[in-house]
Amino acid sequence: MLRQPPDLMLLDLLMPDLSGFEVIEQIRAQVSERWLPILVTSSLPGDAPFIEALRHGADDYLVRPINADLLLAKLGHYSAVLSLQARLTAMAERQRAIHDNILDAVMTFDADGRLQEANRAAMRWFGSPVVPLRGMLCRQVLGADLAELLDSPDVRLQRADGRVFPAELTLGEWREAGRMQHTLVIRDLTERQHIERMKDEFLATVSHELRTPLTSVLGALGLLACGAAGILPKPAMTLTEVARRNGERLSHLIDDILDLSKLEGNRLQLQLRPLKLDALLQEAIAANAGYAQRAGVTLGLVLPAQSALVGVDADRFLQVMANLLSNAIKHSSPGDRVEVLLLSDKDGVRVEVRDQGPGISPEFRPHMFEKFSQADGSDSRAKGGTGLGLYITRMLVERMGGRIGVTSTPGAGACFWVTFSGSEDVTQAARPWLLHVDSDADARARLADWLGPHYALVWAASLAQVQAQEPFAQVQPPIIVADPQAQGSAETFCAALRRRALAGQVILYSDSVDRAFAQHMGLPWLPKTSTTQAQLLSALNDAAALASRKPA
Amino acid sequence: MSELQRVMCVEDDPDIRMIIEFSLLNLGGYEVCLCAGGPAALVQAPLFRPELVLLDVMMPGMSGPQTLAALRQLPVMRGVPVVFLTAKAMPDEVEDLLKYGATGVIVKPFDPVTLPQNIRIYWEHGRDIHAR
Repeated sequence: MLRQPPDLMLLDLLMPDLSGFEVIEQIRAQVSERWLPILVTSSLPGDAPFIEALRHGADDYLVRPINADLLLAKLGHYSAVLSLQARLTAMAERQRAIHDNILDAVMTFDADGRLQEANRAAMRWFGSPVVPLRGMLCRQVLGADLAELLDSPDVRLQRADGRVFPAELTLGEWREAGRMQHTLVIRDLTERQHIERMKDEFLATVSHELRTPLTSVLGALGLLACGAAGILPKPAMTLTEVARRNGERLSHLIDDILDLSKLEGNRLQLQLRPLKLDALLQEAIAANAGYAQRAGVTLGLVLPAQSALVGVDADRFLQVMANLLSNAIKHSSPGDRVEVLLLSDKDGVRVEVRDQGPGISPEFRPHMFEKFSQADGSDSRAKGGTGLGLYITRMLVERMGGRIGVTSTPGAGACFWVTFSGSEDVTQAARPWLLHVDSDADARARLADWLGPHYALVWAASLAQVQAQEPFAQVQPPIIVADPQAQGSAETFCAALRRRALAGQVILYSDSVDRAFAQHMGLPWLPKTSTTQAQLLSALNDAAALASRKPA
Repeated sequence: MSELQRVMCVEDDPDIRMIIEFSLLNLGGYEVCLCAGGPAALVQAPLFRPELVLLDVMMPGMSGPQTLAALRQLPVMRGVPVVFLTAKAMPDEVEDLLKYGATGVIVKPFDPVTLPQNIRIYWEHGRDIHAR
């Protein structure tokens, strides 16, 4: 009977060889996954046997002789309760199936950080047949505490089979009976990153394929316009100029789209170096002088007596200035003046680009730096822009740790400003700086993202490259983070780092050496695959504290 | 010899070859040797004895860097500056190209009007390095 239990059981308490109470207990012990109502019957006098039966786990009773109407009424009642139970079970199973069939790993931790629930993907990724996940701490399952994981911008997790994958985490917090529950959803980004890479390669190919014919088109037009094929009649000259201008517009559009794809995918590599902006601004003015001259606009540059060093990427800073200058020139009338000012104080620098154009309406100002935004839909045609320039400019400035904005009085010109925090001297930088030597470009990009907000970062692919960079060839960095991978003999490399750092600290951040090697060299070591941003920052803090105690 | 005279151009796109020839010949007044790819350049270099090579990066078969490596094996190419022509314009990519030992990188689309003057600057720069 117990192999296929009935929906309900009628049980007489008086049976020849087994007491009714024992039967109740046995049934309760063996049918545990669902509720089986047990109604006991007896002709014994008094309530005592029934009370005893209920204590042993019976649900209800009937006095013999049985009243058929009462029995039917009770069966009807239990039938209703049982069907309600069946519906609840089906609903729970359905929820469980949905939870299990989510392709991301879903885990719920209780207030103590212990795993309460894990869906099938979570079990497959992080569990094993011998290690049950339930009840384990987040750190044991995922290698770090919940808060630590959520703080890292770039999480890499390790599966039970050892494979490390880039992950995106989202956390939902809710309460159950007043206790906080954390439901963590983990998405494997391997495939998405693969697609991003394919997109990059595709864009690189497309841009190459577009630029090749454009080279011939613009080249031929340029040669025609300069009279290399004979002097053109004036109408032909005008037409050539139209074709050339639009070819150049197309060329800028290709550049913008490539930049945009790299910036939005966070794959643009910047070489931030402490630089004085004076020279860069002079270069920017020179590079845009031709355009200004053709538009009949005068360019002016006002520099302070002394200017601070700012950590920027020279090429990208020039691109920012080119965008701001061409924008200002574009919106100026012949005879107007565009002025560039560099203001410098102990907190940093501010670059202003001021024009005498029509200015920007207050309604549009908040949207200036958004994608495809232009004051007027027809403006892009009239002024020849793509609507991407200021958006890219803002992204570049922000990636270099700066801020950008605009002030304007309609009718009285606009003033675009860019600010960077800086310092008077490299060695007294407000933000501590560190040198990262790593031949792996991905690792350099990751560290730039992780440490960018806290450190002025100088990176190089090899020590030889550091030597070649002014002004760093002479300066001793307070901290060097380095990977001996692909740098020749690891021991020689570490010795060279030591000499380079002198009073500073060297940290090995590498998968190509191990703890034993690091101990042999007497250097702290962090493995790349399993070190989180928080761990790296804390190691750097320790190193900075040590470096400040060492005599220089 | 104080002036640049013989320029070799290795470029697989025939139209770009024509633009370069027009620019270097008519505006620059140089002697020009055009090659459609690396193999042709290797044959032509000992005969033409270029003083500067303009070399496309992305070419089918032998790439620009591969061609550069092969050209460097020729005695006649010792100390001859090579300038890459590329449609890839990201700064890190330009730096990578310079690592191959090129004197400079010219990004496409380039201006054929200023090209003769620009390559002369690269040639002088390359000659300075060699003289040191």
